[in-house]
Amino acid sequence: MAIPELEAIGIVKRYGAVLANDHIDLSVESGEIHAVMGENGAGKSTLMSILYGLQPPDEGRILLRGVEARFGSALDAIAAGMGMVHQAFKLFASLTVWENIVFGAEPSRIVFIDRGKARREVAELARRHGLGVDPDAKVGTLSVGVRQRVEILKALYRRARILVLDEPTAVLTPQERDGLFAVMRRLAAEGRTILFVTHKLNEVMAITDRVTVLRDSKVVARMNTSETTAGEIIRAMTGRNVDLQIERGAAAPGAPLLEIERLTIGSPDGRPLVDGAAFVVRAGEIVGLAGVAGNGQSELVEALVGLRRPDAGEVRIAGASVGEADVAGHRAAGLAYIPEDRANLGAALGADAADNFAMGFQRDPPLSRSGWLDPAAMAARARALIDKFGVRTASEHGLASSLSGGNLQKMVVARELSHAAPVLVAEQPTRGVDIGATEFIHGQLVAERDKGHAVLLVSAELSEILALSDRILVMYEGRILADVPRAEASEEALGLLMAGRTAGS
Amino acid sequence: MSAVARLCPPPALVAIVVAVVVGGALVLVSGANPIQAYAAIVEGALAPDNLPNTLNWATPLVGMTLAAAIPLRGGMINLGGDGQMVVGGLVGAITPLLPVAGPLAATLALIAASLAGGFYAALAAWGQIRFAIPMLISSLLLSYTAVGIVSYLVRFPLRDTTTGLPQTALVPVAARLPTLAGPVNAGMLVIAAVAALVIVIDRRAVIGYELRMRGLNARFAGYGGVRLDRQALGAMFASGAIAGLVGAIVVLGGQFRFIDGALLTPAYTWSGLMAALLAGGEPVGAIAAGLFFAALQTGGFAMQRESSVPRVLTLVLQAIVILFLAMRHGLGKRSS
Repeated sequence: MAIPELEAIGIVKRYGAVLANDHIDLSVESGEIHAVMGENGAGKSTLMSILYGLQPPDEGRILLRGVEARFGSALDAIAAGMGMVHQAFKLFASLTVWENIVFGAEPSRIVFIDRGKARREVAELARRHGLGVDPDAKVGTLSVGVRQRVEILKALYRRARILVLDEPTAVLTPQERDGLFAVMRRLAAEGRTILFVTHKLNEVMAITDRVTVLRDSKVVARMNTSETTAGEIIRAMTGRNVDLQIERGAAAPGAPLLEIERLTIGSPDGRPLVDGAAFVVRAGEIVGLAGVAGNGQSELVEALVGLRRPDAGEVRIAGASVGEADVAGHRAAGLAYIPEDRANLGAALGADAADNFAMGFQRDPPLSRSGWLDPAAMAARARALIDKFGVRTASEHGLASSLSGGNLQKMVVARELSHAAPVLVAEQPTRGVDIGATEFIHGQLVAERDKGHAVLLVSAELSEILALSDRILVMYEGRILADVPRAEASEEALGLLMAGRTAGS
Repeated sequence: MSAVARLCPPPALVAIVVAVVVGGALVLVSGANPIQAYAAIVEGALAPDNLPNTLNWATPLVGMTLAAAIPLRGGMINLGGDGQMVVGGLVGAITPLLPVAGPLAATLALIAASLAGGFYAALAAWGQIRFAIPMLISSLLLSYTAVGIVSYLVRFPLRDTTTGLPQTALVPVAARLPTLAGPVNAGMLVIAAVAALVIVIDRRAVIGYELRMRGLNARFAGYGGVRLDRQALGAMFASGAIAGLVGAIVVLGGQFRFIDGALLTPAYTWSGLMAALLAGGEPVGAIAAGLFFAALQTGGFAMQRESSVPRVLTLVLQAIVILFLAMRHGLGKRSS
């Protein structure tokens, strides 16, 4: 057997009392696409940052082609042939593609950058790897998918033999994702090694050669992708069987409960963030709002929950116009809201669970009477919701900051659903949540629909939108491009719309 | 975790011990006896004969601690305590001179002073809500304005022309706060009652809960439906009202007239703000810190009288305690 390209042996990393990596062994062959999977908090990010030299392991060794490597910093790792494409790109928007790529490794003539040579090298590199990029384009003008190519080129320019891609598809349309996969296959065929960090099963099945699964900071499974199944990988990740299919009957839409008319939000640079959006969500249906992140969905949601005042347009909740009202006014009209940013918007991490569960209910019995709180009622309510939603916490007096991401999300979902409000806006309700909690939250959203409430589901995950929605809206550059019934929607068609291509264009 | 917690004494205690050791070393270097100096401080603050002095000093200091702690609990800072206190002090001094003031003159004066201070502080909140002027800046600038205008009023239109000093006429004896023991007057009971009310509201009232949540995460409070604008107005009004009350209590309890500058020299506002900051706005801790500073400052005066050590030592002790506690905060945040 050949010497592995990259080997990690017995990697241990502790953060205080928390063991983030517990004797992790990882072995990756040259020319392999190797998935590193695991739920949030399983230790993937820690392992990758150790391999990339961002932090030293407490124990264990890293071997590159059989030789022990010691990375004092990411620069050492880069010199040894490691390359990393982070989830959040690290590029200069105001510089050109070639400037970004050669930054830090510029070919120079005496003290000046040899611009001609740099441009030529970048163009040649892009051509050789089939990564179509214009070297002179300003990065700020490029789409997310192209920026990702720039990141990959940056690593290749530094002669990376091993590429770490950290959740690379999270920000891509399905078409961009397919393009990325083609690039990955090509790089692997050239003998480069790719570590693909993800929690998306279908992508792992589609592109990888082998899978290493982490759970609770340990490696729990190593598999050849061709010999395993999605179900087996999920079992390894979660330690149990998970039903990926969502049981849901047909929708029975009733009266419109959430109505948006000509909603417009301007921006300082002229192009509106939300441009005349109009749609309706009826009682008893889930409407999915799809779109690549950053196309105005966040602003639209902020406006319709009252966190931001629209420049024009109208929002009606259960028939009542709430255009000028603040969040309190929107909530009074019958709105519950599961925000994307649960840690900074949906919870007070420094407060205990009981206080977090009470928010929004503090002015009404049984939590308070004539302005005075009833701490026993607050604790009882928190306990009831913790039990009902299976939030894993020591007690209702534990701080919210001690909850894991999934449990924090369960807490927010539990609180918002307990409003029993006619309109529910759920924004990225399962982002960063493990599979078990995702399954649970999806079930709750369907239950909400079946109670006759109107649900607006905003998600960047097309699979989530397709699994839950009765009707799908696609948002692109601030406009609602399409409104399609679920039965007529396909991943391909929605992907094209998400990239801004309407039928006939 | 619990084992670590057991090994670590409360940070306040550690800070005080460190301050005492460092301060003692300073005294030693300057050629005096640190044990005598500390004995003089403790004696001067807590001996039965001196306790009334300490309480009398603690009344305005704890009052200003509460004034600082209320906005701080909600993540806001009121730097205009001086101005609000001076406005309240002047209103407290002139209300009893009005013909309408009858037997309830003192009560009426305290209420009027609270309202004046409250509205003046709410002005800063209104500026933030309406014009997005940061309250940190506007409360401080409005304070200078108030101090200047009040100083003018006391020097010219409202001056007691029978004396040559910038001060108002004496308030009638009937409008003065009744004395309890030595210099201690009924104002102490008023502040104690306010302190109790603040604690109960903080722990049990809906508005206390909402303010606490805002302090922990203002975006969360707004998202949950708390009306942040109204809340800022309310918190600043309460803060300014207490500052105004303190001003009137000092005037009606000890000086019996408004003397220009007399309310500001002891720097109650800043000692109170430091005490509130040390406790992060949590009222019980803030009050404890305020009482501690009051004892230290009163003891410092006594020490200066009794020994050759200047009372600056107590300010050094206070500074070390604050620095050390602030540092502990910083370290704690980093390691978590």
